[in-house]
Amino acid sequence: MIGIDREVSRQNFLKKAAWAGAAFSAMGIGGFGVAVRRAEAQAQAYESYQGLGDAAILQFAYLLEQLEGIFYDEGVNAGLFANAFLDQVAVIRDHEFAHADAIATTLGQLGAEVPAVPEFTYPDGVFTDVVAFLELAATFEPVGIGAYQGAAPALESKDILAAAISIHNAECQHRAAINILNLISPPAQVAFEEALPLQDVQAAVEPFGITG
Amino acid sequence: MEKHTINVPSVEEFARPTSRRDFFKALAAAGVGAAAGSVLLSRKASAQGTDVDIANFALTLEFLETEFYRRALDAGVLRGDALALVENIFDHESQHVDAIIGLLEGAGATPVEEPEFVFPEGTFTSQAGILELAATFEPVGVGAYLGAAPMIQSPDILAAAGSIAGVEGEHVVAINNLVTGLPAANEAFPAALTMDEVLAAVSPFIMGGMMETGGQEYRDRTSFGRV
Repeated sequence: MIGIDREVSRQNFLKKAAWAGAAFSAMGIGGFGVAVRRAEAQAQAYESYQGLGDAAILQFAYLLEQLEGIFYDEGVNAGLFANAFLDQVAVIRDHEFAHADAIATTLGQLGAEVPAVPEFTYPDGVFTDVVAFLELAATFEPVGIGAYQGAAPALESKDILAAAISIHNAECQHRAAINILNLISPPAQVAFEEALPLQDVQAAVEPFGITG
Repeated sequence: MEKHTINVPSVEEFARPTSRRDFFKALAAAGVGAAAGSVLLSRKASAQGTDVDIANFALTLEFLETEFYRRALDAGVLRGDALALVENIFDHESQHVDAIIGLLEGAGATPVEEPEFVFPEGTFTSQAGILELAATFEPVGVGAYLGAAPMIQSPDILAAAGSIAGVEGEHVVAINNLVTGLPAANEAFPAALTMDEVLAAVSPFIMGGMMETGGQEYRDRTSFGRV
């Protein structure tokens, strides 16, 4: 299971969601102590991506997309779903691979290597048990969301940022769709999406075979 | 691996530099003053001004959504999953309003006043009518944030905008599910909108139009409208 305690991280975010009033302080306009500390808490996420460079961020994102795409593809092929549920899982799979393709193309334009896709390890039973599959899907999506949201401010190219923020939004939409498949009503549960620091994302995906 | 047939846009298409110029043009036309202001002010100051303008523009959109969902709940016609969803969405939009106001005040900028909104007759008489309009509002919210994101200078504000945009994206899916069913998440690359497109979509709901509501307010209330 993914190594992020979702409830704890949600609560942390709610604390950080007090970025209201804090964000501009980081720009040097405001400057109240408390506000600055809050801004710093929110800033931690993207600061952890700074200095990586756009290519390295995209290479990491490429692997996340492949991890998700292959997961959904295997879920589709495993016959866990039928009808409208199958349609939705297949659509999400297609999205993840489309994201991977877009990222690979961009890496090519940057003259950077497209990483080899490792053989991912998924937990036992996720492709035979629909509940386990959807539970894992519900943990994958916030990791993808958190990674893009954390990395976005660290991207140097505005073009790449525009693409990343669109993909981020698709992942948020997937999160709601997975909630629907998990019969969670209402499926839109959070008022703010949460950015994750790089180390948290790395820790979350390392068990599946993404290292570095 | 099966073949998939999504048209993958190039990264240049996302950025749509033409659209971005349009966005600035529309900001200026709306009296927001960012585009004109940027000529006169230093790079840093104009950057901050742009962020303030964008935050105020986003605030107006969040006001619109909050008021829409407030009236939807007051109408008493929602039931079951639709009622539960709209209660959640109303709560989210209210929190977005509070967050953006806090963000602006923290910056020493003045949030725009909430304008008066008008909705088409009959909007609130049925659950279907409410969901139909919700299904048009939410993608506009997503598109507005995605269109503005590459122009935001402050990384913190960018992170906040991305965070809120994602929630609006979740709303799109949740509403799609009630209106058209699964698959409710249909877009591999949710689309950015230009400011013109956003204005065209929301102006009919704002008494006096977005230009007056936002423009003069922005000009008067921010220090960046000195043109």
